[in-house]
Amino acid sequence: MTDPAFSPAPAAEAAMVHAGNGTPAPAKITVRDLNFFYNGFHALKGISMDIPEKQVTAIIGPSGCGKSTLLRIFNRIYNIYPKLEAKGEIVLDGENILDPKYSLNRLRSKVGMVFQKPVPFPMTIFENVAYGIRHHERLGRAEMENRVEQALRSAALWDEVKDKLKQNALGLSGGQQQRLCIARGIALKPEVLLLDEPTSALDPIATSRIEQLVEELKADFTIVIVTHNMQQAARCSDQTAFMYLGELIEFDKTEKIFTKPNKKQTEDYITGRFG
Amino acid sequence: MAGNNALYVRRRIANIVALLLSSLATLIGLFFLAWILWETLKQGISALSPTLFTKITAYGEDGGLANAMVGSLLINFIGIAIATPIGVMAGMWLAEYANRSKLGASVRFLNDILLSAPSIVLGLFVYTIVVLPMKNLTDGAITFSGLAGGIALSLIALPVVVRTTDEMLRLVPSTLREAALSLGVPQWKLTMQILVRSARSGIITGVLLALARISGETAPLLFTAFGNNYMSLNPIDKMASLPQVIYQYANDPGEGLHAIAWAGAFVVTMFVLLLSLGSRLLFARSKVSND
Repeated sequence: MTDPAFSPAPAAEAAMVHAGNGTPAPAKITVRDLNFFYNGFHALKGISMDIPEKQVTAIIGPSGCGKSTLLRIFNRIYNIYPKLEAKGEIVLDGENILDPKYSLNRLRSKVGMVFQKPVPFPMTIFENVAYGIRHHERLGRAEMENRVEQALRSAALWDEVKDKLKQNALGLSGGQQQRLCIARGIALKPEVLLLDEPTSALDPIATSRIEQLVEELKADFTIVIVTHNMQQAARCSDQTAFMYLGELIEFDKTEKIFTKPNKKQTEDYITGRFG
Repeated sequence: MAGNNALYVRRRIANIVALLLSSLATLIGLFFLAWILWETLKQGISALSPTLFTKITAYGEDGGLANAMVGSLLINFIGIAIATPIGVMAGMWLAEYANRSKLGASVRFLNDILLSAPSIVLGLFVYTIVVLPMKNLTDGAITFSGLAGGIALSLIALPVVVRTTDEMLRLVPSTLREAALSLGVPQWKLTMQILVRSARSGIITGVLLALARISGETAPLLFTAFGNNYMSLNPIDKMASLPQVIYQYANDPGEGLHAIAWAGAFVVTMFVLLLSLGSRLLFARSKVSND
């Protein structure tokens, strides 16, 4: 317990995780004593963590540990299903997003999400990216084209699609579709980007492109990525949270989690002894 | 090993028996379809001539079915034009707004009852709520009409459209809903602009099948459109339709009229067959392009 960066979780006083050489990165999202219930089933138990700004935070753990559930609370997408309930606090830029008064429209323009399977809308490539922007902003034609190009460039897709923007997005390959979904998400200029196992349906080449992209995107966005792939978490995240049975077991710098974790459960999981 | 061999032999025999029985069942179904087409063609071939499409029923045995075909097209069009918007909207409501609610379940159940309601009951219903009031309001100037016929057919088409729209929308993966909602898009935009688009071919298929379903309906038209020996394009006038003329001619002792009725039956059957094939092709193609 000599490392000041380490804080045992779950603990309400979970300190900030240090970025780089001990310089504390300010927390973008602060989770305090979060509990979640699926139709009465206690799925998340007293989660507290600080997600630092403009870094990549990975959430790992075996199936059913609650990692996707946690991610889906950050933009309150769980709200579309009945009988789900979140208790506790998630503070984004000083405001509790779990407060029913917090506008969903505003939350979802600040917190974007990319899903496990690429889900392009049944329209052209251009429209896929423009669709979300149009809902939040009124832009002129040239401005809109500019925004779409920017988003596609940031998602490393522009060169592949610039000549077929008017074609149906369903004709793209799986990896391209997933990058299109990322472009669609970042086109709204969110501050936080949630990635829910974004590469689990992709081949290794498409996967490495997405990982490279995540590395580039953290300059502009706070990224939270849920992954089943531990190498992926080790490769592209700055800190890693390990969850098990609805509890946050350990949350620390990625390097530390994968080299000398503090909890035996974490060690067992990353060395493949269970899960 | 011997025991295992016996097991495999038994399984192989069971497989052959099941294959034979199901092939036989398919053949029986196809046999009757082919027979119906063949019989209507054989009996009606003498009347299948250009005059069938150009002359009206007023000429009797020397006439054709032009007025009945035009009437059928008009009445079907009215029926589909009423049923499609209402049916699609109701299906959208069921799938997107009331999917898990008790009210939604009750509406779905009532829709299924309407789906299997005897068509003659719907004909009498429209007779009571459209034909009679029109007659009273206009002092008998307007009684039976193509419009009333179209309304009766729309009641038959409506539950088909509701059901297919509801089912097609519920087949759209929930991830598409989540993706749109996570962009902050509201539910109505999601439904109208994304979900309907991705279920489009399924919904169109449902409308085509509803059209095929009402094309052969006779009973609801007898009390509503009534029939007309002359060409009429006026929707508030009595109107002829193919099934109604077939019904009338088939009951006539004249042999010549029978041939015309058979020819009419052949036309209706081919129309329905082509509609079904068209809707299948459309649906199959959209499935391929979605993969």
